[in-house]
This record gives sequence, C-alpha cells and structure tokens, in this order.
Amino acid sequence: MTTTPHRSTVPRIAGHPSAEEALHRTAALLRQTEAISRVGGWEYVVATNHLVWSEEVYRIHEVALDFDANDVTQAINFHQGESRQRIDLAFRRAVERGEPFDLELELLTAKGRKIWVRAIGRAEVSNGQVMRVYGNLADITERKLAEESLRVSTKEVFDLKAALDEHAIVAITDPQGKITFVNDKFCAISQYSRSELLGQDHRLINSGHHSKAFIRDLWRTISRGKVWHGEIKNKAKDGTFYWVDTTIVPFLHDDGKPRQYVAIRADITERKQAEVELLRLAILVKSSDDAIIGKTLDGIITAWNPGAERIFGYSAAEAIGRSMLVLFPPERIAEEATILAQIARGENVQHYETELVRRDGTRIDTSVTLSGITGGDGRIIGAVKIARDISERKRADREIHRLNSELEQRVRDRTAQLEVANKELEAFSFSVSHDLRAPLRAIDSFSRMLVEDNGPQLDAEGRRLLDVVCAEAKRMGKLIDDLLAFSRIGRQRMEDSDIDMTELARATFTDVTRTQSNVPRLELTALPPIHGDRSMLRQVWFNLLANAVKFSGKQAQPVIAITGSAADGTAAYSVTDNGAGFDQKFAGKLFGVFQRLHSEEEFEGTGVGLALVQRIIHRHGGTVAATGKLHGGAAFQFTLPKSINEKT
Amino acid sequence: MSDHESVELLLVEDNSRDAEVTIRSLKKHHLANRVVHVKDGQQALEWLFGQGEHAGRDRTSKPKVVLLDLKLPKVSGLEVLQAIRANEQTQFLPIVVLTSSQEEKDVIESYRLGVNSYIVKPGDFENFSAAVAAAGHYWLLVNHEPK
Repeated sequence: MTTTPHRSTVPRIAGHPSAEEALHRTAALLRQTEAISRVGGWEYVVATNHLVWSEEVYRIHEVALDFDANDVTQAINFHQGESRQRIDLAFRRAVERGEPFDLELELLTAKGRKIWVRAIGRAEVSNGQVMRVYGNLADITERKLAEESLRVSTKEVFDLKAALDEHAIVAITDPQGKITFVNDKFCAISQYSRSELLGQDHRLINSGHHSKAFIRDLWRTISRGKVWHGEIKNKAKDGTFYWVDTTIVPFLHDDGKPRQYVAIRADITERKQAEVELLRLAILVKSSDDAIIGKTLDGIITAWNPGAERIFGYSAAEAIGRSMLVLFPPERIAEEATILAQIARGENVQHYETELVRRDGTRIDTSVTLSGITGGDGRIIGAVKIARDISERKRADREIHRLNSELEQRVRDRTAQLEVANKELEAFSFSVSHDLRAPLRAIDSFSRMLVEDNGPQLDAEGRRLLDVVCAEAKRMGKLIDDLLAFSRIGRQRMEDSDIDMTELARATFTDVTRTQSNVPRLELTALPPIHGDRSMLRQVWFNLLANAVKFSGKQAQPVIAITGSAADGTAAYSVTDNGAGFDQKFAGKLFGVFQRLHSEEEFEGTGVGLALVQRIIHRHGGTVAATGKLHGGAAFQFTLPKSINEKT
Repeated sequence: MSDHESVELLLVEDNSRDAEVTIRSLKKHHLANRVVHVKDGQQALEWLFGQGEHAGRDRTSKPKVVLLDLKLPKVSGLEVLQAIRANEQTQFLPIVVLTSSQEEKDVIESYRLGVNSYIVKPGDFENFSAAVAAAGHYWLLVNHEPK
C-alpha cells in the first residue's frame, strides 16, 4: 500500500489545458475551503486497503504532508481510550456492513495536543459489497471548548440560583407587573401556592402600609432600568404582615425597555418588630416621669433621660460621663459601692427609698430600683437605675402624720376637757343634791318643829301659812330630785340586757298604781322584747304610766292601753290613756325640761318626767312622739332599735 | 361634849340645822344622852384618836355608833371612814353614813370602805326624824358589837 498526497491524485487531462486549469483551480479552492473550515476529507478503498487524506487531515493531525497515512490502524491510534474504541468499532462496521457514522472524538495530535474532531463516514456499496468508505474530519476543538465553557458557566448559574433560593425570597415579574416566577421561600412567607401567585401582580400581597408615592417611586426607578432597594411590608394570605428587605433588578431588552424584574428579598420581620419595640422603649424612657439612668459597673453615668434632667437638674450632656456619686449625699456615698457590688453579682435592687442630691444641692426623696445590663456575652456590664421622685408623697406622709398627731392631740385635749367638765358636773350635782336640799329640809323641819313646840299658840291661818312653807319646800325638793335624776341618766353607763317588755310594763304598772285608789283598767298586749338598759327602760315605763295614771285619774273609768309591734329591726311601743289629754299644737313642748301643759293645781308635777323619757330613748337610739286631744286622752309612742346603738 | 366617858354616839355633821334636827329626834326617843357632835372630818378623827384638841382623851372609850355625813369640811366623810377602818382599835366601829347624796358612786365607795349602813337624808322633817330615830334605836339598843 502506497500513500499519495491527495493533490497528486488529481488527474491531468492532456489536450485540455483549460480543463486542467479549471481542475487546478477547483483543487486550490478545495484546499482553501478546507483550511478555512478546518474540515478535511478522507477515503478508504476496501479492495486496496488504501487510505487517502486530504491536506487538511494532515494539518489536523499535525503531521507533515509526507506522513505515511496508509495504515488505518495507525490513523485510529491517534485516538485514545473511549474515543479510540468508538472510532474503531464504527469504522469496522462501515467497512464490514456499510454503516455510516458521525462521531465527535478526542484526538492526540502528533505534537501531543488534545483536540476534538468530528469524524463523518459513509460507505459506498456496490452489489452488496462495500467498495470504499469516505468521509470528512473536522477540527471542532473551539466549538467543544466553547460548549464546555458554557456548560461550566451554566452549572455555576444553577449553583448560584440554588444557593439564592436557599437564602432569599425571589420573584420575577414581567414589565406589566405580573409575577412570572416565585421560589419556594416566596411561597412559604406569603403563604400562597405557586399557582396562586403566578400571573398575579404584587397587589395580592400589598399590606396597604406604604404610601402611593412610595410605590410610584419604586416603579419609576425600575422601569427606568435602575435597581431599587428598600424595605417593604407585605401581607400574607392569613392577613399577618411581614417585612422584606427588597432589591429589584430590572433586566432590559437591547432597546432599553424592561424585559423583566428580578426581586430578591430577605425576611426582616423580626428586625422590624424589634425596631418597633426599641422605638416604643425609647419613647417610654424619654417620656417617663422617673429618672432612668444608665451606668457602668464603675458607677459612671452612660445614659440620662429627660426625667433625670427634670428630677436632678443636670442636663444629659452634663451628667453623662460623670460619676453617680454626684447624686449621693456624703453620708450615703458608701451605699453606691454596696449597690454596684450587688448588681455585679446579678442581683436586682427593688424599691429602696433613699435621699439623693440635686444639682442645686437640695435633697430629694426617691424610690430607687436597679437592675443589671448584660452585654452580648451575657455578662453584666452596667446597671439601669430608675429613680422616682417621692418627695411629694413623703411630704404628704409627713403632713398626714402631722395632722394625725394634731388630731390625736386635739382629741386628747377635748377628752381631757370633757373629763374636767364631767367632773365639774358631778361636783355640781353633788353640791345641788347636798347643799340645795339641806336648807329645804331645814325649812320643813323647823316649820314642823314650830308646829310641834308652839302649835297651840298658832291660829288656823298661821298653821295654813306654815303648811304652805312646808309644801313649797317639799316641791322644791322634788324638783331637785327629778333634776338630779335627769342629769344622772345622761351620765350613767348603760348596762345592756335582754328585756321582756311585757313583763316590765306590767310590773311597773303595778308599782305605779300601788298607792292609787282609782286604779285604771290595764289593756296590755304582748310586747316585742328588746335589748337595752333595764333600769332606764323601767324609768321610761314608770314615767309614762305614772303620767297616764295621773292624767286619767279624774275619769270615772280610767283605761290605759299598752301595745307594741316590731318591724325592720325596730320595736315600737305605745301607752294610751283616756285622760285629760292635751292640745296637739303643744306636743313639741312636752318633752322639754320643766315644760308643763297643766297647772300645779290641776295636776301636780315638775315637768321633768317626759324629758327624762326622751333622754333615755335617745340614748338607746330610739324616737319618742306624743299625740293627744284636749280632754280626749293622750298617746305616747316610742321606738327602740332591736340592736341598740348608744347615743349620748 | 365634856362627858367623854359615857359617849354612845358620835355625830359628824357640818350642817347645824341637820345636826339640831338629828339631836332633837334622838332626844325625843331618849337616845341622845351621850351624843358628841363634831363639825368636820378632822375633828372627828382627832376626837376618835385623842389627838389635837382632843389629845389625852381616853381612847378606850368608844362610841357605839358614828353617824357620819359625807360632805364635810377639811377631811371628807369617806376619808374619815377609811381612817377608822384602817386603825386596829376602831376597825370594827359601827358607822352609819347619813348624807344627802344619793349618788351611786358614794354608796358604792362607802360600802367598799366598810360602812355598816347608808341612809339618804329624807327631804322632809317627818321622814328625816323617823330615819334618825330608827338608826339610833337600832345601833344603840339593838345591835351587838365586838368589845
């Protein structure tokens, strides 16, 4: 087998120089075409086992044109590994079965360069016999490198996208604002499914938080092809809100019109909430009436709110950087070290009251609370001190205390005065009972002694006059006795017991009428029992019944009715007689001391009895009343509370 | 008041009218043979304990009863009562308070100090005379006291 360069195979045609020239031109054109396209041709003749390469095939293999390429095996050996197996198999099938092939293969040139080639083979078959196999060989290394480069960069893009999807909320929007792509994170945060989102615009997740101007500015920016960056509040499907830090990158057509917008967002909801919280705290601190002071563990002031300015008189600029000790009165300087040590140990100090010093040197009562400030690593790095101005409260406390002690003193003084007055009254009573009665007794006694010793010498008129003296002395004595009794009732201590009023009224009636000749008929119904001072209430019954007996004494058939009832914690009693009665218009006068509606000649009496009744009933917390009609009888009513509440 | 040896009744009374009526009543009932009348608490004690004006009096001679007013000049009736009870020689001496005071606290204080009887002077002559006579009769003639 001999190899001949392709060129030499071009036949020369004698006698046809123009044809030969044309042939030469054609061969030259073929060579140029081959060089430009880097495609060579080859032919293998089965019968001769002869392989022919075109010039370009030599160049692709980087061998000289005198290289002997007639050995197929040698040609195949330019390929290695998998490429070699494939071309070997394909070539054999082409030779044996006439199968065509088109392979992209790696090739190691004679100069040791790895290149890519495309080998296309066709078989020429005649009468079922493969006569020859021919084809071309193209150097596709550049295309292959470009493909590989594209593959690598495509892979990078995919990796970046995967990473982006992991990290960010991504959406792509067309120029009309319709969503054309969302990633999983977008679906997760908005709570909408992909199918719910695609084709919609961003109004679906509009929170309504942002102004129209804000939205307008966003669209104006991106539609001009500029990147927009900002924080947007969106609304999820369930109505909750979320904040996203958003970057929208517009992608443009060649003509500068937007093609699509890629929006990359990060969830900043927590940060936004924290910001709101911080803002709220800042407002609280700023607007607090209390002094809120930050300090280091060395006691250096690091923060100073308006409350502190107001309470202590230092501006923030003056206070920050100074020692807390400026606020402490000299005798309390030591306290600060103790407190700071406590804070450093992690203990809080709650509401201790202390005196602090203002800028102008005056002192102020404060209630102080301290708690530690922890740094990022959890260690305590300082303290917040909240001091409340309690000087007003303290002043009020002192004022209340002063008023209280003043009041107590006044009560003591008044009590002492009352005690003195009581003592004087007792002394007065004693002296009335003792000294006033003695002369009366003497008047009576000496008048009687005159009658005893010198009675016979006196005429009837003389004896009458002496009787008048005695009677008046006796009446005076009675007045004194009643007045003393009245005075005693007011001072006497009440001794409470349960009293059967029916029995007490009946027994007292018996006493009153003991010496009576014309005993009235008694009509007594069951009376409600009561709790009270037995001897005083006996006095009430005694006086009322004695009155009733006295004033009905001139009736032919005197009748006294005693009735009683109980309701709503109050017991009511009445004593009614059919005696002389009284004019109702004087009813108010009946209970006054020494007030009388009858002459001494008509009915004797001192005018103290009903006053005494009223005093006793009032001391029991009850009421008295009288109803009467002149010559038509009288009725006296009194009420008593079931549980007595003593009044004086 | 000269007949010290035979005194049976000591009347302590600052009111001369009351004293006169008292003595008249006792006399009328033959009970005033040996009555000593003193006009204040101090005199009463001096007489009883043989002091002052009455120094040297035979203190073994004791009255059978003392009629004692409460409201007295210088030393009050209650103080006299207390002094009599506090002294060993006179601790059992029968004492009858004869007073105008009906004050419960006077009554109670008198009994607390060991009075034997408490009489409120009646306001009229008949009852007053009768009360004095009854007391005199009882304490001078009926009562038996320790020697």
